[in-house]
Amino acid sequence: MIKGLNIKESAQGGLIASTYLGYSLVFWIFPFVWLLILTFSDWQFIGTPSFSGLDNFFNVIQDPLFWKSMKNVFRFLMYYLPMVIFASLFFALGLKKIKYGKSFIALSFLLANVSSGVAYSIVFSKLFSDTGPINDFMNSVFGFTIPWFTNPDFAMFSIAIVITWKFVGYYGLIFYSGLVSIPKEIYDAAELDQTGPVKRLFKITLPLMNAQIIMVVVLAITVAFGIFTEPYLITGGGPLESTTTPMVVMYEAAFQRMEPSWAATMSIFVAIISFTLIWVLRKLFEKNIEIV
Amino acid sequence: MKKMSLSSMAIHAVMLLLAVSWLYPYIWMVLSSLKDTADIYSTGLFEGPFSFDNYIFLFDGSERVERPFLRTLFNSFFISITVTLSVTISSAFIGYALAKMKFRGQGLFKNFLIIQMVFPAFMFIIPQFLLIREFNLINTYSALIIPFLMSGWGIFMVSQSFKGTPNDYIHAAKLDHANMWKILVHVMMPLNKSILAIVALFTFTGVWDNFLWPLIVMQEVEKMPLSVLLANFSKSYGVYVGPVLAGSVVQTLPIVVLFIAFRKYFLQGMSLSLK
Repeated sequence: MIKGLNIKESAQGGLIASTYLGYSLVFWIFPFVWLLILTFSDWQFIGTPSFSGLDNFFNVIQDPLFWKSMKNVFRFLMYYLPMVIFASLFFALGLKKIKYGKSFIALSFLLANVSSGVAYSIVFSKLFSDTGPINDFMNSVFGFTIPWFTNPDFAMFSIAIVITWKFVGYYGLIFYSGLVSIPKEIYDAAELDQTGPVKRLFKITLPLMNAQIIMVVVLAITVAFGIFTEPYLITGGGPLESTTTPMVVMYEAAFQRMEPSWAATMSIFVAIISFTLIWVLRKLFEKNIEIV
Repeated sequence: MKKMSLSSMAIHAVMLLLAVSWLYPYIWMVLSSLKDTADIYSTGLFEGPFSFDNYIFLFDGSERVERPFLRTLFNSFFISITVTLSVTISSAFIGYALAKMKFRGQGLFKNFLIIQMVFPAFMFIIPQFLLIREFNLINTYSALIIPFLMSGWGIFMVSQSFKGTPNDYIHAAKLDHANMWKILVHVMMPLNKSILAIVALFTFTGVWDNFLWPLIVMQEVEKMPLSVLLANFSKSYGVYVGPVLAGSVVQTLPIVVLFIAFRKYFLQGMSLSLK
């Protein structure tokens, strides 16, 4: 009796799970196989793909646009990582000291994180435009304006500002959760040793928050390689291709230049580079910290 | 003692100021969307006159420039709600099978879910487009819905939470001859409300906010989601700052309302807490 039930249940469980496997077969495994076929063939959306060996790989590696977009990701990270980590740490440290209105403050920052990409891209392009309120303010206080999105030296920095705005609430709360889990006794002991606040931050707080810092860096790198909406809508990848991200390059290659096999090959390169970067950073900076 | 409270007051003031400046883009967007385009850059933030003209243009007059905003707003709701219902219900069933039933290949199934989550979505966009094209679904609602009907992430999240529910509840229900449907609806779902809310909310905001995929598969304005029409309107009629900002408000509002109403679940879903 019991055994019969188990067999029935096993069949039922397998049946339910297989609906997802069937779905994945069509919408995940089949595309995955197509991705591999595309990378080894020359195809322009019509006819049968013809085998082309490793041609796509060489074409991608030799394409200056690919390298330009990679360079842009690293330029973005150069601005974004220090900016967002500093701002999020500041936010977390401040939030810890707050007694009243804590949830209002935290939610104000988090609201930026759930906003819609298309909407805030439009809003920021207007806010930072030549005649927009930010430049208006700059002009009346400092007497000059900044070509935020129209100068190739500034445009990527400005996009980093927008994305920092979006993620400080999220990363800040990750830092905050690390911050509150540090036992108070450690700080009491440091106080007895007359350790100054700066030394406490660098010798106690930051090392004990290693796990959270690594997590934020990994999230930030993942974000960096996937940026599309902001450059597509605000700068169109310009000026002078200074904000063309890999996603913009792949989109334009596949759907405007009609080179899906080139774009598919590039997506594999981009995935490998982002994984490698994350792996190297974790190897270098991740520490196992135990609080005794 | 007095000095302490002074520095604490300063921190409160700085943090409050920062919070308001983080909200500033929202405040500017809402107030500017209520102004005439000519006044947006030339008047102070709180200077009027304010009116709903931009919204009236958006929903009433924009048909003339072939931008059916009201229609695309319904499209966005239709697509997001359909996908959310499908993902939440399928995740509950499959999550239950994974957490509480035994079947062959269970371990493999779980590993498959994890492998799927590791691969970045951008690798699949081109081959998925080819698939949708192969099915002749370009420019249909199906193209915006079918590729998102089930979610490995949703199944994984639900099964992790279901595992925490003691088996005694299920045995008790089985003694009362409850079938799987009844166990799910009367036992598992009420006991795991927050994970289902998290899956539903993140799925809804994800689909609502999705831009790249509908941009690729949908060229017909009548069937576009609001995000794509708004981007398209902003690109060709960017000088109409007033209506463009009104459209941005409409695009942002549903997720802001959801976020404020269900902030507890959003925080849980990001595995954050404010304690």
